Amino acid sequence: MNVIETTGLTKYYGEVRGVEDLSLSVGKGEVFGFLGPNGAGKTTTIRTLMGFQSPTEGTATVLGADITDAAALRDARGRIGYLPSEPGFDENVTGRRLLEYHGSLRGDVRSEELLELFDPPLDRKVGQYSRGNKQMLAIVMAFMHDPDLVVMDEPTSGLDPLKQDQFLEFIRAEQERGKTFFFSSHILSEVRKVCDRIGIIRNGHLVELENVESLLDRTGKVVRANVGGAVTAEEFAIEGAHDVTVSGESAEGAAPVTTESDGGGEDSTTVSFTYTGPYQPLLRHLLNYDLLELAIEEAPLEDIFMRFYGDHDAEAVVERVENGRTDGHDGHEETDSRNAEAADV
Amino acid sequence: MSTEAGTETVGRQDRHTGSMLDVARFEGERRLPMTGVLAVVFALFGAMFVALAPDIVSTGAYDDIIEAMPPAMVALVGFENFSSIAGVISGEFYTFTWVVGLGAYLAYSAAGSVAGDLRNDRMDTLLAAPLSRTNVLLGKYLGLLVPIVVLNVVIPLVIYAGSVLVDDPIALADLAALHALSIPYLLLWAAFGLLLGVVVRRGRTAGRAALGVVLAMWLLESFVTSTDFEWLGAVSPMRYFDPAAILVNGEYGLEGAALLLGVAVVFVALSRTVFVRSDL
Repeated sequence: MNVIETTGLTKYYGEVRGVEDLSLSVGKGEVFGFLGPNGAGKTTTIRTLMGFQSPTEGTATVLGADITDAAALRDARGRIGYLPSEPGFDENVTGRRLLEYHGSLRGDVRSEELLELFDPPLDRKVGQYSRGNKQMLAIVMAFMHDPDLVVMDEPTSGLDPLKQDQFLEFIRAEQERGKTFFFSSHILSEVRKVCDRIGIIRNGHLVELENVESLLDRTGKVVRANVGGAVTAEEFAIEGAHDVTVSGESAEGAAPVTTESDGGGEDSTTVSFTYTGPYQPLLRHLLNYDLLELAIEEAPLEDIFMRFYGDHDAEAVVERVENGRTDGHDGHEETDSRNAEAADV
Repeated sequence: MSTEAGTETVGRQDRHTGSMLDVARFEGERRLPMTGVLAVVFALFGAMFVALAPDIVSTGAYDDIIEAMPPAMVALVGFENFSSIAGVISGEFYTFTWVVGLGAYLAYSAAGSVAGDLRNDRMDTLLAAPLSRTNVLLGKYLGLLVPIVVLNVVIPLVIYAGSVLVDDPIALADLAALHALSIPYLLLWAAFGLLLGVVVRRGRTAGRAALGVVLAMWLLESFVTSTDFEWLGAVSPMRYFDPAAILVNGEYGLEGAALLLGVAVVFVALSRTVFVRSDL
């Protein structure tokens, strides 16, 4: 039996769409990355799965409990850890008292051990906590009852990079112990480190489920190189490079972005493109130039999305994918524009 | 890969579930500081009235003023019974502390306990635990028993001790009855606040609205007294809890208390229905 199973899960806030027709399943012991830009409907989905709000249409089960069956879901929550992106706490009590309280509600079998990894200042009042400390407290609460499933909504937000890595490491270890994770994020790099499978949600629709490897093969990186002298886009038409743009190119007449360095007269050119091939050929090619600056970054999720389907109009992509998968829904455009503001309430 | 360990974890049966009492304990504890403050303020305020009462009663210093005032004003500030220490205490002290002050505090706190949690996502954190919404709501309501019980135990002792000290002891049975009968009244306001918190939801707005309603009801009941519109005061909870009637005349008005308690139960049930059905 799948740990999470949704069928046509839909949530509207009045006229505004939170998530629509979401069907996915997460198997036991899996780390499922639920990826999407901000406002895509991730929080809506998670809050619906937790039973904080009821779906408009469709069904879902979590650990076998129907999410519309309050009693069954309450029992299931005893085996679920929940880690929100911005946890709300009573600010007038100390972290220790709050842990004790939540321990009394869900059971506490391992908070001591967790506090060695994630160590908020327990004797201080939560109101004085930094964002990162609050998040660490929330992590301890989410895992203190040793749940079988942990539902996380942008869990690394607020953690410093060191703690983020520690947390992702921790997730890997917990997965080995057989835990299942539902991990929402808008950052591909953190999801790729731990997730077995990724679903992308955009404007309330689930668009693609892939395993990480094939997703990565197709996403590519954003390469930005600043090289001395003039360069043309054609020179960078190497295998794996897409959408090469050159700024500072001495095109006819005006040379718009050419930067004159202080030494006087030495031109440099910035080349940027998306690259989907291996590193070696790219670096070899770049070394043919006077390389002044180089940045290789993960492409933003929106770009990945476009690259994914070789289409620059993301809205059209969604439509096409939707139409290809089902017989299409009417009236998407109307709600899409409103969705961004209202989805993550 | 230790899949075995995982299977073991999933199969574990001794899962803990949270109870209403866990919530009530936490909520009640959080009410303790404010309860302490109220106890001290009310005790000092009460002691002051007890100390001044013999002078007010014996000199009749206020008789002229009272006669010159419109009846609504007299009812509002509780000047009707300035002829005995029990009258002064019930009309002044209990009107301002119990009828208005404590009623308002409970309505405001109850509203805020739900609406504030909803607004700041604390309700999510709370309900992520294996806890039903009913448990959360009733737990929060029960937590309000801390100020209700503590103040109803401490303050009568102070008042009685004070009245003994000024050599004009108040009837102990009446004083006890006053405080016992105040409990349904206070529970009603707490229940009303709870309902407002669940329905209005908007953080402090719910609390302020609750505060406003308490004051409005008090003014309503005071202003319609001895007018043609006296029937209007029937909707005011203040009509069913009258400290002066209990302390001065020994009229306990049990039906009124029963009515208040009944309405409190209805309000809590209504809050629960709304809360269980709505999206957080």
